[in-house]
Amino acid sequence: MNINATLLAQAVVMIVFVAICWRYIYPPILSVMKEREKRISDGLEAAKKADDSLEEAKLAFDKELDQAKVEAAEILEKANNRASKIVNDASSKAEAEAEKILTAASTTIENETNKAKEELRQQMSDIIIDTTQKILGDEISKEKHEEILKKAAEEL
Amino acid sequence: MASELTTESYISHHLTNFTCGKTPDGWTCDPYKVDQMGFWAFHVDSLFWSIALGALFVFVFKKAISKNSDSNTTPSGMQNFVEMCIEFVEDNVQSLFGSVKNTLIAPLALTVFVWILLMNLMDLVPVDFLPVLAGHIAYALAGEGVEWIKGPESFYFKVVPTTDPNITLGMAFGIFLLTIYYSITVKGLKAFIAELTLHPFGKYLIPVNFVLEMVNFIAKPISLGLRLFGNLYAGEMIFILIALMLFFSSIPIGVLGFGLHLVWALFHILIVALQAFIFMALTIAYLAMAHETEEH
Repeated sequence: MNINATLLAQAVVMIVFVAICWRYIYPPILSVMKEREKRISDGLEAAKKADDSLEEAKLAFDKELDQAKVEAAEILEKANNRASKIVNDASSKAEAEAEKILTAASTTIENETNKAKEELRQQMSDIIIDTTQKILGDEISKEKHEEILKKAAEEL
Repeated sequence: MASELTTESYISHHLTNFTCGKTPDGWTCDPYKVDQMGFWAFHVDSLFWSIALGALFVFVFKKAISKNSDSNTTPSGMQNFVEMCIEFVEDNVQSLFGSVKNTLIAPLALTVFVWILLMNLMDLVPVDFLPVLAGHIAYALAGEGVEWIKGPESFYFKVVPTTDPNITLGMAFGIFLLTIYYSITVKGLKAFIAELTLHPFGKYLIPVNFVLEMVNFIAKPISLGLRLFGNLYAGEMIFILIALMLFFSSIPIGVLGFGLHLVWALFHILIVALQAFIFMALTIAYLAMAHETEEH
């Protein structure tokens, strides 16, 4: 238990180990720790920022969605209006057309009827005159009794 | 000595270092010639364990960084432990040292703390295990070739370096040199000498002041080294005494010995860590004092 040169040797050994730790061990570990600490705090900050921007984006999204809904409703209403207008227009046009066709048809029929009547009258009067000439001889000529014939034809 | 095992020889065997030193006849490791060795003797066992455990410290910490040398990887296993130690030391240095920037203090504190912790932990290895093993190895290796190894039991081997005052005072001495170095470089030689001579009685009683301050100054490293030595030596002594209970060939005392061994080992874990911490904290405190420039 006496004090001897071991003391000096131990002091030297200690200086060597402290120097090794000071030079090669402590700084690299500490710098890695500091670096990681910075990375983590940066990461947390970035996460917070991302959260904030997510919130913002959500708000913007909701706003856009609401606006889109309003617009869609507007468009739908306009479309409905337009569709009903088109249908109305089409049906009124069709009605008018039908009326027109109907009128034209009835006019044609009337004309045809009149024409047929006229022809029939003409033929009838011709037949009558013919027959009458045959009965009465030449007393009655077409030219002399023009007036009477016409009247008769009209009465027919 | 080899023939008869008495309690006295058992205890003294455990308290004797494996010493190599210079005798008038030349260098020898003969334990019977320790008395002839002067100052130039080395406790080979203490130095061996001290260097081995210091190397273990360097190896473990170096490995922890080389595995994960950048900040991208998630730290795991040993690196977590290493970083925990460093954070602990950083906290202590911060609280005692404040704003003073000195890159040596924290590595010094870390080395001192982990190293002393490891050396103290050797105390928890069963007292007879390593000395007997070393004795048998030495006897087997030396055989008849070395005249002073007469049997496994004539080879002394002390396992706990911090129970050797040379080791603890050696470290305290290293720290003492550092405090002197920083006192002179930070405060300046004049201020340092003034600090040692002009207190507490003013400039007319310089010799008295010097003696008082010198006692104060030298007491610091001595108390630092002896505190660690005393605590660990006492702990080791109690382990040896408990182990002695097995000498009485009585089963109840043997069982009691086992129980006490367990209790003391558990309690000793506290002392081991506490003494390492105290040594570290005082190291930082003494160096902080060396950096204080204002008058006290």
